[in-house]
Amino acid sequence: MELRCDGVSAALGGADIVKEISMRASANAFVGIIGPNGSGKSTLLKCIYRVLKPSGGTIYLDDSPLGALSYKESARKMAVVAQHNYYNFDFTVREVVMMGRAPHKKQMERDNAEDVEIVSDALRQVDMEAYGDRIFSTLSGGEQQRIILARALAQRTRCLILDEPTNHLDVKYQLQLLSLVKRMELTVVTALHDLNMAAMYCDYIYVLKNGRLCGSGTPQDILRRDFLKEVFDVDVKIIRDAQSGMLHILYLPPRPDKTEA
Amino acid sequence: MENHPAKKNSAKEARWGTPVSIGVSLALLAAVVVSVVTAVTIGSTHISVKDVYSVILYELFHPDELSPYAQGAVHDVVWLIRLPRLVLAAAVGAGLSVCGTVMQAVVKNSLADPYILGVSSGASFGATLAIMLGVGAALGRNFVGIVAFLCALGASALVMMISNLGTRSNPVKLLLSGMAISAVFSAFSSFIVYLSDDMEGIKNITYWLMGSLAGAAWSSNAVVLSVVLVGTLFFMTQYRTLNLMLLGDEVSITLGTNLHRYRQAYMLATSLIIGFVVYSSGMIGFVGLIIPHFMRMLFGSDHKKILPTAALTGAIFLIWADVLSRIIIPHTELPIGILVSMVGAPCFVYLLVRRSYGFGGDN
Repeated sequence: MELRCDGVSAALGGADIVKEISMRASANAFVGIIGPNGSGKSTLLKCIYRVLKPSGGTIYLDDSPLGALSYKESARKMAVVAQHNYYNFDFTVREVVMMGRAPHKKQMERDNAEDVEIVSDALRQVDMEAYGDRIFSTLSGGEQQRIILARALAQRTRCLILDEPTNHLDVKYQLQLLSLVKRMELTVVTALHDLNMAAMYCDYIYVLKNGRLCGSGTPQDILRRDFLKEVFDVDVKIIRDAQSGMLHILYLPPRPDKTEA
Repeated sequence: MENHPAKKNSAKEARWGTPVSIGVSLALLAAVVVSVVTAVTIGSTHISVKDVYSVILYELFHPDELSPYAQGAVHDVVWLIRLPRLVLAAAVGAGLSVCGTVMQAVVKNSLADPYILGVSSGASFGATLAIMLGVGAALGRNFVGIVAFLCALGASALVMMISNLGTRSNPVKLLLSGMAISAVFSAFSSFIVYLSDDMEGIKNITYWLMGSLAGAAWSSNAVVLSVVLVGTLFFMTQYRTLNLMLLGDEVSITLGTNLHRYRQAYMLATSLIIGFVVYSSGMIGFVGLIIPHFMRMLFGSDHKKILPTAALTGAIFLIWADVLSRIIIPHTELPIGILVSMVGAPCFVYLLVRRSYGFGGDN
């Protein structure tokens, strides 16, 4: 499944938050969107997962414009793990994951044995099988996030949108969640805060600042000292580990104002 | 009062699963029948159990040997007063509970009850117009109910309209427009009452607002019962969408459902059901609020489980509340609304304090 944004703009409350962004995630690619707070990452993703209507431009799933698909159709092609899921009401973990089957169901259709199997599979994939009968709201933030991932997996889509999925997760589960998603044959588009995570998992990175695309490329192309200084206004040192070939971004404390000059 | 299997939901984590909820539903269905059959023998006029069942058997099967029971005072009390009243109680209890459950999902707030969208103030306004100013007197014997019904529908239509002005409606806008419309209608009702010096009329309004099942008759029962039954079955098919409503608009879109359309449809359906309930029995509070909570405590939030159980439990609850209201003070009938609130409020506080489930607040 290929996902493509063609000159997408979005406005919130009259202000342009996302300005003419074009990007592309080819089939089974892991694409990251990075950028400082307020750069429009989430807003762009919300356009992609249809919670916001773009004020301009078109988003394509494979070759169909998103607007031409019903919500059910797009939910069968694209699943979402958003930043924070908080439910007031008591659902068991299994009930929450079962809701991932909703886009595959007609109004009056009941859940069948296959759905139950898919739900168990999804729980197994996120390593939460034992939690099926627990009440969702009693789980920790990290556990909840994994259940939401399981729900997205239960949708059985070819494309997964992650909106800063690793917020609230401790390091182990950040790595676990991203590794799990990376292993699957899925087109992944994810907003990420942590540049090291972006370096580790992304095949391709788009960089947003002030609602505009200000760079894109492979992690090696993008994660450069001068560019990160320009976009994030931080001083970094970038190290390539000789053995693994992995990039590591070391953050340096901000220098005292102007004393350098 | 609940004919519920006396199991205790002790573990915080455990909720009863689907097989149990189906079993419980069947047990509750049996309990509704048992309740009606038992409650029909209870009343201020003493009639022997044998006579009661003879009348019912005669009316059902018309056997010749029971023909002495075809008419007379005993026949009329059992067949024209007690039984229709019990059937109405069951229908109203089920209707209120189902609509309460649905409204709580629609506005995504567990404090909602079936009257939240201005239905109650609309109905009271209608009743006030009818009783004090004689509006709609040409509509027949139950013109108060009809005018109340129309005003209740009008009020919820207004709430829906206002909540869609400007931006699209959402649960918060719905709740707030419901409150605003309620305030306006209550103000007009008070205004009419204030200007009038018809003490008898004021008493009638008060009585009507307390709710009563005394107006039950087979002809109107048939309508109310079918509306409630069809409505309940309809909502039972909608459990998936109702569950999604609790997750909110954004998540629902990512799961393939745009809730907006469904929310409008569900409000329309509940307004209709509640309109008929108000028409037949006035305003009976608390049932529609407390039964959904009680069911969630036992079964969690999955509407597949709580809708049928709420309908049946609501029916049983109101049947026995009505029996109590008839016999608790000898020779007088306590308005059922008073009794339900008297019993319901402490139960509700108990649930609140025990807090063994989410309750729609912070955990």
